[in-house]
Amino acid sequence: MSTQSEHVLTTLAAMLREVIGESWADDLDIGRETSFNRDLELESIEFVALAERLQTAFGARVDFAGWLADRELDQIISLTVGEVVDFICTCLTSSEAA
Amino acid sequence: MPHVERSGLKLHVQVLGEGPPVAMLHGLLVGSMASWYFGAAPRLARRFRVLLSDLRGHGLSDPSPTGYDLATLGADLHEILPLAGAGSATLVGHSYGALIALRYALAHRHRVARLVLVDAPLPPSQVPELDAFLARRPEEMLSALPDALQSGVADGSRQGRRLVAQLRRLVEGSLLADLQAEPDFADADLAGLDLPVLLVYGDRSGCRAAGERLARVLPRARLHFLPGGHFLPTEQAAALADLLDQELVHG
Repeated sequence: MSTQSEHVLTTLAAMLREVIGESWADDLDIGRETSFNRDLELESIEFVALAERLQTAFGARVDFAGWLADRELDQIISLTVGEVVDFICTCLTSSEAA
Repeated sequence: MPHVERSGLKLHVQVLGEGPPVAMLHGLLVGSMASWYFGAAPRLARRFRVLLSDLRGHGLSDPSPTGYDLATLGADLHEILPLAGAGSATLVGHSYGALIALRYALAHRHRVARLVLVDAPLPPSQVPELDAFLARRPEEMLSALPDALQSGVADGSRQGRRLVAQLRRLVEGSLLADLQAEPDFADADLAGLDLPVLLVYGDRSGCRAAGERLARVLPRARLHFLPGGHFLPTEQAAALADLLDQELVHG
């Protein structure tokens, strides 16, 4: 994993623990393979809270709303942490190149 | 968490996009802004400033033992609506959220440009979400919930447990009593609401007759059916997004 990728993963994992706010999440290994639905059992409203934190952290460089608009809720919930990390990194890389 | 505080109660809000103001409201008991956030809101956010909120007691807003009557929920909306921007707003509501929008438009006519009412029940106490509580058998209770929530509750997942906890808090408060006490809208009041209204109903919804009544009485209403039942924002998310996009941009 690149440094950027690792940084984004660490940031995302910290945000998830904050959003979930339950002690079991503090002890959990959150990695690229972690599934929002199967492993974290995240409620859709918690995904909203996560999306908002990501938008605040990464700002205009990451168009979350646009990304979400193209997907159904059940597709979003079945994503893995790695897929979200990759999406963020792609946005960051292309905005740096621009 | 972005929020607005009203009388010590934190109301969770999210704002997406830039443009003319749109505010979207969800329904009682099982609802939260998630159904709009993952449904029509991102599409509308391409051209509008879209304000989403969780009703008190729901989603990430603070729990509240009281205040589930349309007047109080309308006052909550009044507090947050400035976040959508200046000028008159389009209000989009599902189920009881549609009634909050309708009651608000009647009380604050100048603040509202247009209404989209998705499967609004009439009289107000007839919210289909209550069917889950009136059912006598657990399997009836389960099937009264929106599809997306049924397996969570049945499987005892974390999502199911958290929903049940929310429902328990709501039912222990005044919600059911407030619903029962809410008076019906008067046809005379509705007939005076000179405002474009799009009514969207599930063709198999138990609220269909309410849609037909509103279409008859409101002077500038259009009624559109989508295939399905009551929970259109989750069960017909794409079709509803298309319809809202069409209505708000071209209607």
